[in-house]
Amino acid sequence: MPEPTNTPTRSIIVCGSGLAASLTALSLARGLDETCGIIQVRGAAVPQEDVLYGNATDPASYNFLRRLGLDEPTLLLKSAASFSYGCHFRKWLSSHSWLQCHHAPFKTISGIPLFHHVTRASAALQPLLVSAQAALAGRFAHPPSDPGNALSQAEYGYQTDPCELTRLVDAQLANTHVRRLDADIRSIEAEGSRLTAIQLDTGETVTASLFIDASGPSRRAINSVGGRFNAERTIGAAKTTRATDQLGPPCREIETNALGWTSKAFLQNGEHVLHVGPADTAENPDAHFTVELGHLTNAWVGNCVAIGHAASVVEPLTPAPMIMLQRDIERLLELIPVLDDMTVEQKEFNRRFREDTAHITMFHDALLSGSDAPASSYWRDALSKPHNEKLERKITQFTNRGILTRYDLEPFNDEDWTIAHMGMGRVPSQYDRQVDRISKDETERNLTHMSETIKQLIPKMPPHHIYVAKLKQYLEKKNHV
Amino acid sequence: MTAAALSNKFKSLGLEITLVESDQIGTVGVGEATLPHIRFFNQALGIDEPTFMKSTEATFKLGIEFCDWGQRGDHYIHPFGDYGLPLDDLDFHQFWLKLQKAGQARRLSDYSYPIVAAENGRFQIPGDDPNKIGSNFGYAYQFDSSLYARFLRSYSEDKGVRRLEGRVVDVDLDSESGDVNSVKLEDGSRVTADLFVDCSGFRGVLIEQALETGYDDWSQWLPCNRAIAVPCESRGELLPFTRATARTAGWQWRIPLQHRTGNGHVYWNEFISDDEAAHQLMSSLEGPALAEPKQLFFKTGRRKKFWNRNVVSIGLSAGFLEPLESTSIHLIQEGITSLIELFPSQTINPLDIAEYNDRMALNFERVRDFLLLHYVATQRDDSEMWRYFQAMELPASLQEKIAAWSSRGYVLKYEFGVFLPPSWIAVMLGQNLLPTDHDPRIDKYPLADVKRRLDEIDQETRRAVEATPTQAEFLRRYGAASASAPILANGM
Repeated sequence: MPEPTNTPTRSIIVCGSGLAASLTALSLARGLDETCGIIQVRGAAVPQEDVLYGNATDPASYNFLRRLGLDEPTLLLKSAASFSYGCHFRKWLSSHSWLQCHHAPFKTISGIPLFHHVTRASAALQPLLVSAQAALAGRFAHPPSDPGNALSQAEYGYQTDPCELTRLVDAQLANTHVRRLDADIRSIEAEGSRLTAIQLDTGETVTASLFIDASGPSRRAINSVGGRFNAERTIGAAKTTRATDQLGPPCREIETNALGWTSKAFLQNGEHVLHVGPADTAENPDAHFTVELGHLTNAWVGNCVAIGHAASVVEPLTPAPMIMLQRDIERLLELIPVLDDMTVEQKEFNRRFREDTAHITMFHDALLSGSDAPASSYWRDALSKPHNEKLERKITQFTNRGILTRYDLEPFNDEDWTIAHMGMGRVPSQYDRQVDRISKDETERNLTHMSETIKQLIPKMPPHHIYVAKLKQYLEKKNHV
Repeated sequence: MTAAALSNKFKSLGLEITLVESDQIGTVGVGEATLPHIRFFNQALGIDEPTFMKSTEATFKLGIEFCDWGQRGDHYIHPFGDYGLPLDDLDFHQFWLKLQKAGQARRLSDYSYPIVAAENGRFQIPGDDPNKIGSNFGYAYQFDSSLYARFLRSYSEDKGVRRLEGRVVDVDLDSESGDVNSVKLEDGSRVTADLFVDCSGFRGVLIEQALETGYDDWSQWLPCNRAIAVPCESRGELLPFTRATARTAGWQWRIPLQHRTGNGHVYWNEFISDDEAAHQLMSSLEGPALAEPKQLFFKTGRRKKFWNRNVVSIGLSAGFLEPLESTSIHLIQEGITSLIELFPSQTINPLDIAEYNDRMALNFERVRDFLLLHYVATQRDDSEMWRYFQAMELPASLQEKIAAWSSRGYVLKYEFGVFLPPSWIAVMLGQNLLPTDHDPRIDKYPLADVKRRLDEIDQETRRAVEATPTQAEFLRRYGAASASAPILANGM
């Protein structure tokens, strides 16, 4: 194994041609000066598993994409992206349906968190969530900054198509110093846990001090230095697009079926439908491909860092796959090695990667429970995983008395957890006793006032399709792009 | 503090709160300096700031000055706030590191409003505009903890807390559950309750003497085990910061209040006698002593369980970490906040106990690492104590933080814990732990641009500080000046 020398990172090779690779290459190009050479080795084919980045982003994607030159007008005008207040879970493994919406921190009443009042009044949470109600009504408007307006509590992400997003990112990449090589990898050379060179089918050999494996589930580079993937289970997936006359609501819809689950996203160019089910094609004729869910033990090995599906694959039940991809890239940028010896960066990257993976998996595991799961192999596998201690504590503390147990730097916040718990019918058996300081009548008056305010606001909001159309007209008039 | 907070939260819920305390038992009185979080505690109790300050002889605190820690003759202030302003979502200190490497940077402190204001004895409440340098900081207080205790006692009694004067002489445990049933006072009376909060100090009357909970001894990392405290007359300008000066076998504090200055010497008795420690303290007072020096004995560490059975330990009964970063009162506050959130309803749930213990353990551990940093990020080897720290094997959690910082100025990320990245940066750079490199993303900014931007921040900081009144002036104007304070009376 070659001894690391103390030289700065002056060259980076990004392997892959899909969304993860392009976003990583563009982020590196934007983040680093031109003396750091960046090569993107693009294989002939974009991994079909890219559809598993899903059709939804979370509110943090606004800043993430804007920093890369992909601001909201660009997304709306140059792709079929639309807005997303969240995801509508319909009869999810039970009789429960709810809108898993993006929401600002809940307001407190008399200094006590909202859901304790809701629990005491045996009321429903959903009518109090403006983004949930707007999404269900198919309406959208940008949240105003005026805190007196109920809509200011709404947050939003986007409904996107990963392939289209890749195209947009690639267009940006053309104007950077990234050298893009359209070639397949013939072989990878490694000494111990360090990659030394990549031979391409064009005959060229490229070398770098840091290698990024963004090749998707093939993980060719990270495998060459001993990357270990912990597979949880295998799923089959298929995606179709249906043209529609009119843009649908500002939320995805997701529901269970006998084989697995189906999600519908509503973009400007139609409905994007994703079927997820068992890997066995005999049982699941829709499956276009199969993929192992799971994650690497360490996403940074030697001088190779795995990003996106090369590092972890989660089902797009929520915006988790995009959140994880963004976090992978942000973590990488914060830890671009300063020397050939990358021990410090590797350790911190892997610590945060493991935490992020565990926290995202925990949120999904919390969603995968219910009394009415179909009796199919997919659901048997999906529901067979026992909850780990951290999740068990989260659920028990919430159902016992409405305590939200928190861990460091979780991607899903208190509001996400509260909405999911209550949406799935997890109601605290006790509420915070301090709620009793105000009368039951006052609690009910407060909650009624909140829901009535939202009820009156929603009809005044434009339907999603009209809002997007008018916004685009305005942007085009302004010659934005 | 616990009785006040519980009475405020649960006063109208039929919860009966009894405060058992004895005027014969003095308070330790080392926790006179606080962290900014104390303001939220007071605000939650609805306490009026000027009234509280006047009643407790309080001054404002913008940070802590550390003298002689990196090397003899060094000094720096750990401020309550960020340095400079972030640029393009990148940390300010990374730009400073680049400029410093090129030999063109001023002191990092020059880009910090709270530091420059503190050095000039000035203070004002932070402004509302987050983009202005004079808004981007926090502040705390330095106060007389005995007066604060009296202030809160009166607050609690007004809220219906029953106060019993007396010492606990015996504890009755339930023979089956092992829970505390009642405590017996000197006069023979018994006080029963469902839940007991042990705020009895180092002795841990309930948590340790009765329940034998056990203690994690952290002396191997924080070996100072004694302190001597003495107040003295104030001299000179009323400065809005606490001072901690490193000594050969410990360190000395100076806390300026309105009516006096609190002083103390924390030391490791292995390397200095009590007499010598007292001599070092008394010979360095800025004015005549106002009382006899008080000797304190302690062992750093924490209770194995902060909440055991039906007893919750808060304050010194929960653990002790030397007051180098004013964390004593903060850890009390953390305990109270968690207790309120997890307050038992009908019965005590083991899950709540586990949750409480996990939260407090994390708090203590993260504070421990930060305190230890002061002793190990140093070039001093001029005494046995400093050589001990030079040779020490650090906890892995701290080792990783120092390694990440030393190579590239990166502060390991976490969300919970009192000391966030700006605090780590202040101490590591203040004690000459200069990273060998900086974040490579900074290299896309030309040096001249970085210098221009930092010069602007420096000038903005100076202008903001020039427009800031002195602390004495502000206290008077704010209605927080105590009538007994000679410095304020003299208009200094």
